[in-house]
Parts: sequence; structure tokens; C-alpha cells
Amino acid sequence: MSILYLRFLKGLVRMNKFFWLDKQRGIAKTYTDLISDLISIKTVPHFLNHDNPYELYVSLLASVVFSRNVDIVDTDLSRTEKENLGIGKNHDYEMDFSELVEALDSPKKLVNLVLSAANSWRLGIYTSGTTGRPKRIEHTMESLTRACKIGDKYSDNVWAFAYNSTHFAGLQVFFQAFLNLNTIVYIFETTPSRILPTIEESSVTHISATPTFYRSFVFTSEKANERVLGVTMGGEKFDTSLVERISSIFPNARIRNIYASSEAGSLFASTGDVFTIPTRFSGKVLIGDDGELLIHKSLLGISDDIILEGEWYHTGDVVERLDENTFRFISRKTEMINVGGYKVNPHEVEKAIRAIEGVLDVRVFGRSNRVTGNIVVAEIVAKNTEVKPYIENEISQLNKHLRSWKVPRIVNFVDSIEQTRTGKKVRK
Amino acid sequence: MVFEKLLRIINSIMKKKGEQELSAHYLTENSSLRNDIGFDSLDLAELTVRIEDEFGIDIFEHGNVDTISEILKRLGENE
Repeated sequence: MSILYLRFLKGLVRMNKFFWLDKQRGIAKTYTDLISDLISIKTVPHFLNHDNPYELYVSLLASVVFSRNVDIVDTDLSRTEKENLGIGKNHDYEMDFSELVEALDSPKKLVNLVLSAANSWRLGIYTSGTTGRPKRIEHTMESLTRACKIGDKYSDNVWAFAYNSTHFAGLQVFFQAFLNLNTIVYIFETTPSRILPTIEESSVTHISATPTFYRSFVFTSEKANERVLGVTMGGEKFDTSLVERISSIFPNARIRNIYASSEAGSLFASTGDVFTIPTRFSGKVLIGDDGELLIHKSLLGISDDIILEGEWYHTGDVVERLDENTFRFISRKTEMINVGGYKVNPHEVEKAIRAIEGVLDVRVFGRSNRVTGNIVVAEIVAKNTEVKPYIENEISQLNKHLRSWKVPRIVNFVDSIEQTRTGKKVRK
Repeated sequence: MVFEKLLRIINSIMKKKGEQELSAHYLTENSSLRNDIGFDSLDLAELTVRIEDEFGIDIFEHGNVDTISEILKRLGENE
């Protein structure tokens, strides 16, 4: 069999390989379907605002092909946050794929076209950031795909997609899979009892998710899955009991912990709780005198919202240096509450509660637990006893204004709010 | 007694979610918090904190729990 014929066969397999499987929405698209959906696009809006992740990524790829800068609207942003960021004043980019039909006659050519956009295309994404105020970060194809591994040995991978598709972590999984023409199995919105069966039925080999996502399904099943070879987690403190459980459910998987942020993308990986600074980041990662991890601006996306000190970005993560190139996480420096990987700014929640009639003072803080890391708790000084049921009811209605994980799950009424000696509220 | 207290805690969460409260008859030992009662991660997090406040026990300390009987076992009352 000639090499050319082998290549032709390989190409055929790629064309018919599934690109996107989303059982809940009844979507099963091959790479051929992707290309035909792509070339039928006539316009793409500047603000990509899709509830359907497949449509979002098709629009995104179209914007890359035509080098049109777009923003992905984070589905977690509230209406007020969107208004404050100026999201909504939309305009459409017209696209004419007719001249590209030939250039896009194979999935491999689409991948090459996307990769060639290295620095000519910009994507804006939004993040809760270390202060809780959403920040806009701009990425290039180069910064988005820096951590992606491309090569023949990755071509048979099947990825479970377990992040919000508008978040940076989701984009990283998308590009890792797409650039290797892998199948992506969307499980982010799958009910927990259906996650393991879906992974099994779709022959998933790799999963990346937050510890909270893994916790939602690995403990309720005893059945081992031997096909999964790679499990990646990040976004929360390392949890040994969870890692042990994941190892028993996925006995053949290499489990990696990732330190990543929307500002910088994936930076460090570890197999336990000890992170190694890769030699290519030499001189670009510092640990300050107070133990805070500092990242050099050359490793960051582009943003006016990222505050630098000199050339360094302060991550707010306090680490313990173990030797020249390794460290372990200790805590967060900021007051942000981490609820299942989502950062909650206590000041934002306090402001919303203070607006409720009858509330004299309020303190919002995190209460640790093994399910989501933390939940939000509020201590309230009420004007009088009669008004307390009203306040409780108003707080349970706060999800109209705040995202669900920001709404206090526990409300305690107190006589006064404890303060530190400097007059600040005690958060822990 | 423990069961009644547990039911009260579960129902306080159901009520906030705007869902119908459960009767002692409906809740069986094998009821799954996630699959039968419909608790998500935030509901479970609230449940574990409320149970810890009431009983002084972290039910997730030694791994996951999902059914009512597993919680009762952790609370030292395997009915």
C-alpha cells in the first residue's frame, strides 16, 4: 500500500470522526459536519453569546479563519456585570466562505488554518479575577494554545468536556482536542448519575475538570473504567481522598493537578501537591518575600485590567518553596471565597444584602466543607426581630441578582459584627 | 430522633429551593441525595455544614456519602 493511499485512508477516517457529542442537546457532529456548518456561516457577532457550546465553537472557529477579533460572553456573568463591561452593543462581521471551500476540504487543513492565526486574531474572555470584579483578558491563538500538545500520539484521544465552554479552562480543552482532531464529549451539563455511563459509552480517554465536578460523580459508583488514561484537575486545593477515589475509578489514568489562571493559562502541572516550575519559565516565576507567587507579564494575556507591579503580576496565591524549582500551595492571600472553583467577592455580596430593608450590618465569609471547598455564609445585624423572616426571604431571592454560588447558603443573625484590631471585618 | 433532625435539615434546603418538602414516609434509607432528592453540589455543601453545626460531625470526612443510610451511619445511628 502506498504512503499516499495510507494518507488518503487516514484522511477519510478523520473526516468521519466525531468532533462533538452532546447527548443532552441531541448533537452528534463529525469533522465533516463541522466544516459544512462552518462554511455555511454568513455572519458572526463580535460578542459570542451562545447557550449551545457547539454553536459557540463553530462561530469561534469562523472568527479565527477570518481573523475577526471577538469576545466570548461568559454565561456566568450577571446582567449588571455585562452592562458594566459594556457587553451588549453588538455588531456583526460578515463572512464569505465561498472562496475557502477548497482550502477547507479536510479537517487537517482547518487545523492548519486555525494555527496560522497565531497572533493575527484576538479573543476577549472574562474572568472573576482576584478582586471579584470581572476583568477582560485578551488572548491570541498562541497564548490560548501554549499548553496544547499536538502530535500523532494524541490523535486517538477522546476528551470529556467538563467545563463551562465560555471559560478559559474550557477553551484549553477545546483546542487540545480540536488541534489533534479528537472527539469531544460534552458532559458539563450532564446529570451526575449519567456522567460515568456517558464516559463509558463514548470511549472517553481523557478528562479535565474541577475537583468539585469529579466529586459530583466518582463517589456514587463502584465500577472502574479502564479506558480513561488521563485525568486532569485544577482550580482548587489538592484533595488526597479525592485523588485516591479517582485512581480507583480510573485505574489506568495518570492524574495531574494543574495550576492555571485566566490571566496566564496553564502554567504548572503536578502529580501530587508539589508543583515544578518548568525550565522554559526560568526567570518568569518568582516567589515573593511573603510567599506570594508572582508571574512575569510576558506569560500573561493582554489586558488593561491586570494590575502589574513593575513587570510582575501578583497572583494572590501564597506558596511554600521546597527547593529551587518546586513549590506547594498554602493559601489565598485575598479575601475571595472559593466556592467549587468560582471566586466570590464578599464585598459584592455584602453590598447586595445591605440593600435589604432592616439590615443594619452584614459580614460575608466562607465556611469550609469537603464538597465545594467553601460555601458563602452571612452574619447579619437586623433592625429588630420582626424583620428577620423578611430578610431571610429576600436573601433566598438574591439569585435574581447574584450567581447562585454567591448567594449565602447560611444566614445567622447576630447582635454585632466581629472586627479585627484594624477595624476590618473578620472573614475567617 | 436523628432521622427527624436530618429530615428537618433536608427540608429547610428544599424549602429554600422552592421545592416541596419531603415527608418521613417518602424518605427511605436508600434515597440518594443527588439522584432521588435532586441535591446539587451547593445543596450538599450546605447540608454537610448544617449537619456539622447540629451534630458536630463532618459526614464527608471519611469519603463521600450519598444515601440517607450512609449519613445515619456517619452520625452513629444506623437505623
